[in-house]
Amino acid sequence: MEELLKQIAHCVEFGKINQASPYPPDLKGKDGADELTKKALDQGATAEEILTNALIVGMGKVGVKFRENKVFVPQVLMSAKAMSAAMAHLKPLFASGAAKRKGTFIIGTVQGDLHDIGKNLVSMMVEGNGYEVIDLGVDVNADTFLTEAEKYPHAVIGLSALLTTTMVNMENIVNALKEKNPETKVCIGGAPVTQDFCNKINADLYSPDPQGLVEYLDKLAS
Amino acid sequence: MDYKQTGLSLVKKAFNHETVERIPWVPFAGVHAAKLLGIGAEKYLKSPDLIFKGVSKAVELYKPDGIPVAFDLQIEAETLGCQLNWPDNSPPSVISHPLQEGVKIEDLSIPSASDGRIPVVMEAASKLREKYPDIALYGLITGPFTLALHLIGTDIFMKMFEDPDEVNKVMSFCADVGKMMADCYIGAGCDVVAMVDPMTSQIDPHSFETFVSPYATDIFAFIREKQSLSSFFVCGNAKQNIEAMCKCKPDNVSIDENIPLDYVRDVALENEISFGGNMRLTTVLLMGKPEDCQREALECMDTAGRKGFVLAPGCDLPMDTPPENLEAVTDLVHNEMLQGELRASAATITEVEKLDLSSHWSKDKVIIDIITLDSASCAPCQYMVNAVARASDPFGEKVIYKEHKITGKEGVQMMTSLGVRNLPTIVIDGNIEFISQIPPVGKLEDKIKEYLKSKK
Repeated sequence: MEELLKQIAHCVEFGKINQASPYPPDLKGKDGADELTKKALDQGATAEEILTNALIVGMGKVGVKFRENKVFVPQVLMSAKAMSAAMAHLKPLFASGAAKRKGTFIIGTVQGDLHDIGKNLVSMMVEGNGYEVIDLGVDVNADTFLTEAEKYPHAVIGLSALLTTTMVNMENIVNALKEKNPETKVCIGGAPVTQDFCNKINADLYSPDPQGLVEYLDKLAS
Repeated sequence: MDYKQTGLSLVKKAFNHETVERIPWVPFAGVHAAKLLGIGAEKYLKSPDLIFKGVSKAVELYKPDGIPVAFDLQIEAETLGCQLNWPDNSPPSVISHPLQEGVKIEDLSIPSASDGRIPVVMEAASKLREKYPDIALYGLITGPFTLALHLIGTDIFMKMFEDPDEVNKVMSFCADVGKMMADCYIGAGCDVVAMVDPMTSQIDPHSFETFVSPYATDIFAFIREKQSLSSFFVCGNAKQNIEAMCKCKPDNVSIDENIPLDYVRDVALENEISFGGNMRLTTVLLMGKPEDCQREALECMDTAGRKGFVLAPGCDLPMDTPPENLEAVTDLVHNEMLQGELRASAATITEVEKLDLSSHWSKDKVIIDIITLDSASCAPCQYMVNAVARASDPFGEKVIYKEHKITGKEGVQMMTSLGVRNLPTIVIDGNIEFISQIPPVGKLEDKIKEYLKSKK
């Protein structure tokens, strides 16, 4: 079993989705995250085991490589796709309450901004690290964030923006959330966002990479 | 100089990676120009007259050396069938990706000059050209990778691994679209064609070289053939690709605050390419005070140096950028004296070691210190030094005067130690006596006599 979990982690790290997928070339024709996860479940592994000892391990490695500029968005997306293939098998088990998650994370791209790569990347990374993710999509206004935050009172909120012209909308959303519940933790990220900006708008965390967010969530959850 | 110095000639010189007398300033006023007219982005970007008026207003306020006609990376995508969403306070964004919705790349054809909003920006470009022959006019085209992303959606990132041939096909098409747009802008009289490809910041150098370099190189070669200048704009942290960007042979690369300017300076100049950027858009230009903006501009200018550099915001200016912030940058760019003063006051804040001046003064002589900016173009500094020289001469050895140029460390230390804040300034025996204005020689002589009375 340990070997199988290692293989799944490897598939996630290098973006091997399933047997048919041609990438990476050195794993061509071999089983991917999809087949191996099914196999692990068939052999008696629990969803939590697979999540903790395979997916989180693989995504963690990609996250660190991304932070260190060793891989970029395309590679991370491939990893995320491999992870999703594995998660497809695990999700029903989590949904039935047969397995537990570490916490809830609500994410959306802010009002006026329709870019979703960064947001999707973060959602997948957070999900791959054992959290339930509520993805509100793109162009999300303060009201929608408020409604969702009320539904999940302990959830951490994530705001994404790609444009300098839209990142300014983060300020209103942070203000609205904090006004409603000062305890709500709000994390921000996206290409133009900086720590300086985070301080200016009183958000709780800026991270230039998903890994930083995962570490923050883990700290809050512990 | 064999030609009149204009904004255009300064930008050309910088693009030719020459050393310039004054660093050219190119504010990327896109939808910000709509704000200057008090209208929304959509109305603005759909009207040649309004673009003409908005850019004219920006030229009037910011006295730029170069300026873009429009900053809208959705124009080409729109003609190719991408749906746009139009928020009021920013450029439109693409909300549908035809190639994801069943359209084949083979079904798409290169847009013509009369499609979509292409004639809108070209008409604005022609009018601006006519009105401002001395400003470098920038025509902005969508870079092939960003356009491919508009067409395919984010699947493009995975397709690079799963279907590289398809990605190459789309990139080749997008490069042809880019050349068509470049041709239109050149035809309308633009001096610089800037290929804006922000999405390349998201990929690794290997993917860049595989999927972007061949097409970007092709576009820049085309622009060169047309005897126009080219620039490669990228927003976001594209540090990993700067070297590869230079190898595509644009005349200039322009970057934002995510990449250290000194790094780009070194890579660009080594590749004999001009470079530009990278004033912080949001935290400084949008949210800062005019003086913060001046300091930011000065820091960029001092880091970059005068060789091959174009001062610009990192990317499209946020719509609500306060005009006074940009006007402050304009003031700074045109005022070397102000640059010197800011430099010196910044030095006061950071720890400049103050000089021990105890042995500087004399019991029987009057000591005059003149703090100046060393520059042939700083006429007041020269006149002030001359005035002091003439006033001191009759007193022979009784008066000692010295010029301290704040371009050197000693000058800055002297300025700080004497508490001088403006340039040029005359200090007599440690007292600030004349600021900025050059005193008549007679008045200076009287002052010296006063000080001499207290000497042995």
